[in-house]
Amino acid sequence: MTDVLFPVISEAEDATGVIVTWFVESGDKVTPATLIAEVAMDKVDAEVYPETSGVITLVVEEEKEVPQGTVIAQVT
Amino acid sequence: MTTTLHSNDQSLALAIEPDAGKRKLSTAKAIQEAISQRMARDESVFVMGEDVGPYGGIFSSTTGLIDRFGPERVLDTPISESAFIGLGIGAAVEGMRPIVELMFADFFGVCMDQIYNHMAKIHYESGGNVRVPMVLMTAAGGGYSDGAQHSQCLWGTFAHLPGMKVVVPSNPYDAKGLMAAAIESDDPVVFMFHKGIMGLGWMAKNKRSIGAVPEGEYFVPIGKARVAREGTDVTIVTVSLSVHHSLDVAERLEPEGISVEVIDLRSLVPLDREAIVRSVSKTGRLIVVDEDYQSFGLSGEVIAAVAEHDPTLLKRVSRVCVPDVPIPYARELEYAVLPTPARIEAAVRDAMAT
Amino acid sequence: MTPPTTKTLTDEGRRGLLRTMVLIRTYEEAIRREYYADKKPAFDIGAGLVPGEMHLSAGQEPVAAGTCAHLTPEDALTATHRPHHVAIAKGVALRPMTAEIFGRETGLGRGRGGHMHLFDPSTHFSCSGIIAEGLPPALGQAFAFQRQGSDRVAVAVTGEGAANAGAFHESLNLAALWKLPVVFVVEDNDWGISVPRAQSTSVVSNADRATAYGIPGVRVEDNSVEAVYAAAGEAVARARSGGGPTLIEVHTLRLWGHFEGDAEGYRPDLTSVPEHDPIPIYRNRLLETGVLTDGQYQAMQASAAEQVEDAIDFAKNSPTPDPLDHLSYVFSEGVNS
Repeated sequence: MTDVLFPVISEAEDATGVIVTWFVESGDKVTPATLIAEVAMDKVDAEVYPETSGVITLVVEEEKEVPQGTVIAQVT
Repeated sequence: MTTTLHSNDQSLALAIEPDAGKRKLSTAKAIQEAISQRMARDESVFVMGEDVGPYGGIFSSTTGLIDRFGPERVLDTPISESAFIGLGIGAAVEGMRPIVELMFADFFGVCMDQIYNHMAKIHYESGGNVRVPMVLMTAAGGGYSDGAQHSQCLWGTFAHLPGMKVVVPSNPYDAKGLMAAAIESDDPVVFMFHKGIMGLGWMAKNKRSIGAVPEGEYFVPIGKARVAREGTDVTIVTVSLSVHHSLDVAERLEPEGISVEVIDLRSLVPLDREAIVRSVSKTGRLIVVDEDYQSFGLSGEVIAAVAEHDPTLLKRVSRVCVPDVPIPYARELEYAVLPTPARIEAAVRDAMAT
Repeated sequence: MTPPTTKTLTDEGRRGLLRTMVLIRTYEEAIRREYYADKKPAFDIGAGLVPGEMHLSAGQEPVAAGTCAHLTPEDALTATHRPHHVAIAKGVALRPMTAEIFGRETGLGRGRGGHMHLFDPSTHFSCSGIIAEGLPPALGQAFAFQRQGSDRVAVAVTGEGAANAGAFHESLNLAALWKLPVVFVVEDNDWGISVPRAQSTSVVSNADRATAYGIPGVRVEDNSVEAVYAAAGEAVARARSGGGPTLIEVHTLRLWGHFEGDAEGYRPDLTSVPEHDPIPIYRNRLLETGVLTDGQYQAMQASAAEQVEDAIDFAKNSPTPDPLDHLSYVFSEGVNS
């Protein structure tokens, strides 16, 4: 099982951001080419792709503020 | 039915409205993908407008394009709408396929001559001898307190003037397919996207602004409406963000036994009058939901399309539009003029009350 | 950057300039004749074989001849509501041009455009009735030529009144910024319909406005076709070689009214206008310097008359458009879309 982390965008260690959009749902099959989420921090947007293939389970919901580096999903 | 789409050497035999598949995008990303895929195989296509380069477009219509295609093909312009829209026209006349962004539809005032007197008329005035294969894309719509000069829809104004096609997608699938069709078209196409359907992170978004979009290239035909939801009691004819609100209302009313059919026009020019008449023939009750101004526009045209065909079809007719007022700033006032789900629901109940 | 040497004017070239001007003047006189022929007794603008507004370019021939001598059919030119002189000098064929002015199906626009909306793709010529709005599309044509890797240029011809309109300023800035191969030619004929230049324009010469955009500006003062030729040659060469745009203003002469039917009561110089007619002035100069003979001049006039009358006959004998066809050509899919 692989963790998908909220991207580390900010230099400030304790910076937080939100998941703007989940493009997949729990149970969907994903590959490294699958766009799974768009996140935002400090007005910067970033796209998130998984590093492995498998079935994804979402851990954090949209618009919830979380620290960068948090596990936001898992791929098995 | 198959729609005849103009084919040119640059066009493969692309699918028309294929299966959506499972991969989801926001409307903004779907537009970006349509442009990107066409630009990858067609050197004549380029993008031009204010802040379309590194910024990616104020409403994210062009994010990532400059990284892929460079500043020669994705050009930031000065604040000179007449000059750069006219430049698009001249380039199109000489065989290129420009995609020009007018940042807000509200800004058409400063450059309308190039749009309606030149872009839209050159083909006709030249007896068909000169084509203007250009896309003019622009952001429309309100609901986030941007005030009277930055919240308008105005598709009725563009649709009213002959010579330009006008497409208004409501969702990611249609946005990608219609952008592809707009670029492919040898006619000038005004592509109007509501900011609220783009799936932007910094604006409240309806869940349908994220949706399944085929990965390959495909067309959605210009001039063909879509039945977004089948129903038997009431027809809602609508476009853009109002499609989402109408679908939300329809879902809410179904358990009460009210069956609402929602027609997403997708294009204003050409207008799919047959689809409108077909639906109203079935239900007899027509509600037009249009975020553009009420008088002298799309809603009157839709009703006229039915009335001219057969006025006896219309047992009930009403429209839910922005009234003839400048769009107010204060949220309470803005939401009093917008065609909200509450107003739509009230119109449906009213239509069912007889 | 110094543009390459422009071609110097030979005697044959001089006669060529005069020949073009004579053809234009012969054409404009014939159109004027046809325009008024069936609008009597009282002038009815909508009556006759050539209805509507008519803006003729008598007196402004030097601008057209001098500029277009440097252009090929592959170069583009956008013109104004007063387009005939530049159309002819650009090489637009007289028959379809005249048929369009007469509103016939054989016209450049199948009768849909008329005299202010002439489009000839084969010479990349177009014109528009909205002041200053022909400039932006010329930028686009230049942009395409540049992207296509050619040394083709676009010329935008406009009036001195247009130099006060927004699109003029936007276009100069953008053409300069993107170093487009454009030449802007301003015809200063002193009058914006009835308003003299001094009452509309904050500067004495629009050529001075060029420095505001960082491009070269040249003012040709005396409606001299050879001075236009020299200035245009340098500007076109500059554009072709990647040196960017130039603004040329020519002080020219509107011999007749703004439109046909214009009583010109506002014009105090009317009695002295004919003596400034550029064609007899240039003809006399060429005669005096032995570049031209009377016989050659008469041959020019005869040839012009023949071409012009042929074009008018062609137009008059061409079919008028079918009224039932009025919806065709709005879009490109076909006849009835």
